[in-house]
Amino acid sequence: MFNDIGLILPELVLFLGAMGLLMLGAFSSKDATRTVDFGAIILLLVAAVLSLTQSQNGYATAFNGAFVVDGFAALMKALTFVATAIAILMSRDFMAREKLARFEFSVLLVLAATGMGMMISANDLIALYMGIELQSLALYVVAAINRDSLRSTESGLKYFVLGALSSGLLLYGASLIYGFSGSIEFAEIAKAFQPVDGQLPIAMTIGLVFLIAGLAFKISAVPFHMWTPDVYEGAPTAVTAFFAAAPKLAGMAIFLRVMLTAFPDAIIAWQQIIIFVSFASMLLGAFAAIGQQNIKRLMAYSSIGHMGFALVGFAAGTQDGVSGVILYMTLYAIMTLGTFACILSMRREGGMVERIDNLAGLSQTRPFMAACLAIMMFSLAGIPPMAGFFGKLFVFRAAIDAGLYGLSILGVLSSVVGAYYYLRIVKIMYIDAPSEDDYQPMPRELSIMAGVMAGFALLFFVYPAPLIELSNGAAAALLNGAGTDVVTGLLSRP
Amino acid sequence: MQDLLSNYYPILIFMALAAVITLALMVVPLFAAPHNPDSEKNAPYECGFEAFDDARMKFDVKFYLVAILFIIFDLEVAFLFPWAVAFGEVGLFGFWSMMFFLGVLTIGFAYEWRKGALDWD
Amino acid sequence: MYHAIVFFPLVGAIIAGLFGRIIGHKRSEQLTSGLLVASAILSCVAFIDVAMNNNPATVNLLSWIHSGTLNIDWVLRIDTLTAVMLVVVNGVSSLVHIYSIGYMSHDPGRSRFFAYLSLFTFMMLMLVTADNFVQLFFGWEGVGLASYLLIGFWFKKPSANAAAMKAFVVNRVGDFGLILGMAAIYFTVGSLQFDEVFAAAGALSEGKFDFLGLTLPTLTTICLLLFMGAMGKSAQFMLHTWLPDAMEGPTPVSALIHAATMVTAGVFLVARCSPLFELSPTASAVVICVGAITAFFAATVGLVQNDIKRVIAYSTCSQLGYMFVALGVGAYQVAMFHLFTHAFFKALLFLGAGSVIHAMQDEQDMRKMGGLRQLVPTTWFMMLIGTLALTGFPLTAGFFSKDAVIEAAYAAHAGPHMFGFVLLVVAALFTSFYSWRLMFMTFYGQPRCSTETLNHVHESPPVMLVPLLVLALGALGAGLVFAGSFIGDGQAAFWGASIFTGPDNHVLHDLHNVPLWVKLSPLVMMMTGFIVAWVMYIRSPEWPAQIAAQHDLLYKFLLNKWYIDELYHLIFVRPVAWLARLFWKGGDGYVIDGFGPNGIAANVLRVTQRFVGLQTGFVYHYAFVMLVGVAGFVSWFMLAGGH
Repeated sequence: MFNDIGLILPELVLFLGAMGLLMLGAFSSKDATRTVDFGAIILLLVAAVLSLTQSQNGYATAFNGAFVVDGFAALMKALTFVATAIAILMSRDFMAREKLARFEFSVLLVLAATGMGMMISANDLIALYMGIELQSLALYVVAAINRDSLRSTESGLKYFVLGALSSGLLLYGASLIYGFSGSIEFAEIAKAFQPVDGQLPIAMTIGLVFLIAGLAFKISAVPFHMWTPDVYEGAPTAVTAFFAAAPKLAGMAIFLRVMLTAFPDAIIAWQQIIIFVSFASMLLGAFAAIGQQNIKRLMAYSSIGHMGFALVGFAAGTQDGVSGVILYMTLYAIMTLGTFACILSMRREGGMVERIDNLAGLSQTRPFMAACLAIMMFSLAGIPPMAGFFGKLFVFRAAIDAGLYGLSILGVLSSVVGAYYYLRIVKIMYIDAPSEDDYQPMPRELSIMAGVMAGFALLFFVYPAPLIELSNGAAAALLNGAGTDVVTGLLSRP
Repeated sequence: MQDLLSNYYPILIFMALAAVITLALMVVPLFAAPHNPDSEKNAPYECGFEAFDDARMKFDVKFYLVAILFIIFDLEVAFLFPWAVAFGEVGLFGFWSMMFFLGVLTIGFAYEWRKGALDWD
Repeated sequence: MYHAIVFFPLVGAIIAGLFGRIIGHKRSEQLTSGLLVASAILSCVAFIDVAMNNNPATVNLLSWIHSGTLNIDWVLRIDTLTAVMLVVVNGVSSLVHIYSIGYMSHDPGRSRFFAYLSLFTFMMLMLVTADNFVQLFFGWEGVGLASYLLIGFWFKKPSANAAAMKAFVVNRVGDFGLILGMAAIYFTVGSLQFDEVFAAAGALSEGKFDFLGLTLPTLTTICLLLFMGAMGKSAQFMLHTWLPDAMEGPTPVSALIHAATMVTAGVFLVARCSPLFELSPTASAVVICVGAITAFFAATVGLVQNDIKRVIAYSTCSQLGYMFVALGVGAYQVAMFHLFTHAFFKALLFLGAGSVIHAMQDEQDMRKMGGLRQLVPTTWFMMLIGTLALTGFPLTAGFFSKDAVIEAAYAAHAGPHMFGFVLLVVAALFTSFYSWRLMFMTFYGQPRCSTETLNHVHESPPVMLVPLLVLALGALGAGLVFAGSFIGDGQAAFWGASIFTGPDNHVLHDLHNVPLWVKLSPLVMMMTGFIVAWVMYIRSPEWPAQIAAQHDLLYKFLLNKWYIDELYHLIFVRPVAWLARLFWKGGDGYVIDGFGPNGIAANVLRVTQRFVGLQTGFVYHYAFVMLVGVAGFVSWFMLAGGH
């Protein structure tokens, strides 16, 4: 029993911490927002470190196999928690200025992170559903946290309704799978779901489709992406920054785990779906983003497109592919957070601006911000030697090794189309004439964040080895089940 | 398969009976009951008074808040029943699990109290 | 220590580049210069440790790329060859940093300038400490980038921008060769690690491979491709055109990059690859020919130039030719020795020229100078030392190294060494002539500038003169002190394993035993050049104009640099422009815009609008799309039966 508690320690710390912070915020006589924010960041970082140390245990399960801790979970959780912590850090100035500063925001984000941790570690269908719902409930609320804004409440409502629908689909799929396999544990499902004469049991395949629909909704892959642009645009920008990074990491992680541990032999079935979803996401992400005027909406389509690219590696279904997905998602989260650090700084005398045209001539008025944003755009577009290029390189290489030539070619083509709208932003910033009124200076933590992320994206190529090896280790841990100690393996490297 | 279905046989009979009875209760009055409508009978009726205004009036949002809070604690009690029944078997772990759950709910309760959700005005 | 040597400049570059505006110009200057001086002192320690005490080292920094069979790490390889380069690079760079404090004192972009200088130094250090071709290539491109930034430092001057672009583009041609060479090495050896490649050299020399139906000897092809890269960087004949134009940059840049360090990267590359070139006589013959032609060609052009910096630029080009001849005949040690001494006196000449230009209010035309000896006596004296060293006056640095190159060219057996020898001797005459011509036109005779300028002429501040002094000491003493270890009896112990020479390569021994007339020939050429220059520019200054008038064609030919720029304009630029216009008007305007990108672009917009139109904002539409998706997948599996 204590062993079980030890394994859920990161989530436990987050949860108890969230409760404590909630009480602190509720009972403190003056406004405790800044204290709670600070506490939340500390909690998340502690949880990240705890989950990394857990990878020393190798492969372990808790609560009768409902909860699994392995190198993959450790890495993905740590990344998710850190991304959440960064999102809170970046939100502070924004929330204060928009008069949205409430201590509940950070508490909700910590609760969402708890849910993400649980879902990354889920090892049966019920744990999966619990994790997803805990995460989603917190996300619905933060999307609508600006109660006085029509757009924010609308986006929260849309997210909630569609999220409930997707949860329904997921549950329906789960019940079908349970009904036909007789178990909710991933390992048992894998044993039951075997092709017979090259044919998969059709009812279970249908259950799989519903399950995938529910999971694809979380990473906003086409055709389950429709909520994304509206929610990204409507939600307060700091919330959008969070949405674009951490939940995507966690969603992709659980997607990988469910498909590869519960349905390893059904790859012929889900690979077809993933290929279609990946292709459609890349295409829609590339084309729909071109017509956007609002930078948050553009980032929504951009994230749809990037999910498509990450799924290219997923579709390969090999260890290289999984490793590519992990690397891609990590780099994506970093680039997205860096980009949002710049978007959160788009503040003029009269308030925030969100139109892409507002960036005109930024290189002359705010050269540092323009440089950071330009590096991010180059990196998102996948132009070598930026970090984004390496992400694409690894997923496409895995896909080609797996024989998915068509998907790779279409992926490269759509990244060409995608480069257009990223580079358009650079062009607007560097070539167009600046408008009359100036931006206010970047808040300190945002400029530090933007600078660090841009530096990372720019200099990743100098020393990419640790991240690549971490991804490889995590992928091996996921696929082999055996205890691969990702972190200490890396640290003790000669 | 046969076993499974035969287990559910009473339920099938129950559903059939329920359907028959409701249908009968709805269909019979159509023929049996007398129909003498007049203006008084067709007028809106509200506890013996004339209707004050439209029945679809706006409720104060506080009602919803109370209803939501009620549901939460209602469910809490619903969880407590099976736990209490199986108390002898779940052991110490079961006991502390429930205490933890109640503790979490209490924290939620304390929060809503502090935020003034329980104040009517 | 080696970490410090390499990364101090980077630290300086980062701080001055990113925070220059915060910490101010003065601090940026002091910081970058201070770090460079520290780095230079450590380099000297490293030189004594590695070269003198024969104690080479490799320092593992980070693992870089591990992908399949390709394993590349960041490693610092410090052997004698590197140690020599460390001293040259950090020594000259630190002096140039200090000098620039004075020279750039009025420029508003000083901290940017120092950041670029330090960045350049770091890249150059990455190049010379590389342990594999990829790291070398990183440094190679890095110095190219820094050079581009520094040539175009005064980016408001269109000519500076054009020169920066030209340098970049011409270097690309060379880099293309280098990349192909690296690819060929990886293709044949399966590694880019120096040690592994050199170990495989013997096998390569027998290998052949097919390309487009031709059967090519592997090693020679690789060497020639690598040499193409070296030609671009070291401004050898045909790829030299960027170097004179690069003089648009600030003079300290010319001294550091375009005289002492970056342009010698090609020489370093060939010396580093001595195990490859030693086994490929064909490639070595090409190196001799190109080097000799460059030495001769650049010297002839230098005879008639009027811009003081351009004269020195062509001189650099010519001296690089000397180094390549030495490399080609197998006397790698001699080439490195000449590189070493050349760095001192050429940097001295450039910085001296900078001092003159500074004194003359940015006047570079020697026809408007004259009679400056009394006005700037210290600068005059420094330039005199530089000129003596360049022309090879006995006991100065150039005397030892340049004469050794010429003797090596005579003493060698393989290849067209006599061709090299003859051209080098003639070039030595020209060298002496243009060097003294520069001295006479600048410092002697009557002042030819306006009296107003003349009144403002002033000696440079001490911060500029001290670096000159240090370099002058090097130009005088480097040959005398180091000749023994670089090319004399101690050379085998000195170089250790860093330079490979074949078993039947005795050039280094033979060059001490050449006939007396060979030994004397450079000296005679130097004296002749001096006398002719004296006659033409001191005794009867009207002669040059008359000679130019009589041999109008030759004069124009030389003045216009053999019309190579015009030739390139004719055979590359014009046809390309014509082709470009054809493609632009016909291809692009008609075909592509009609059917290609613009057609696609229009369709992209249509597709975009379609996609965007899907986003109606109604929740039930969204839910509908999701359900259609699920229904689509389900029916796909129902119909396809799950396979």
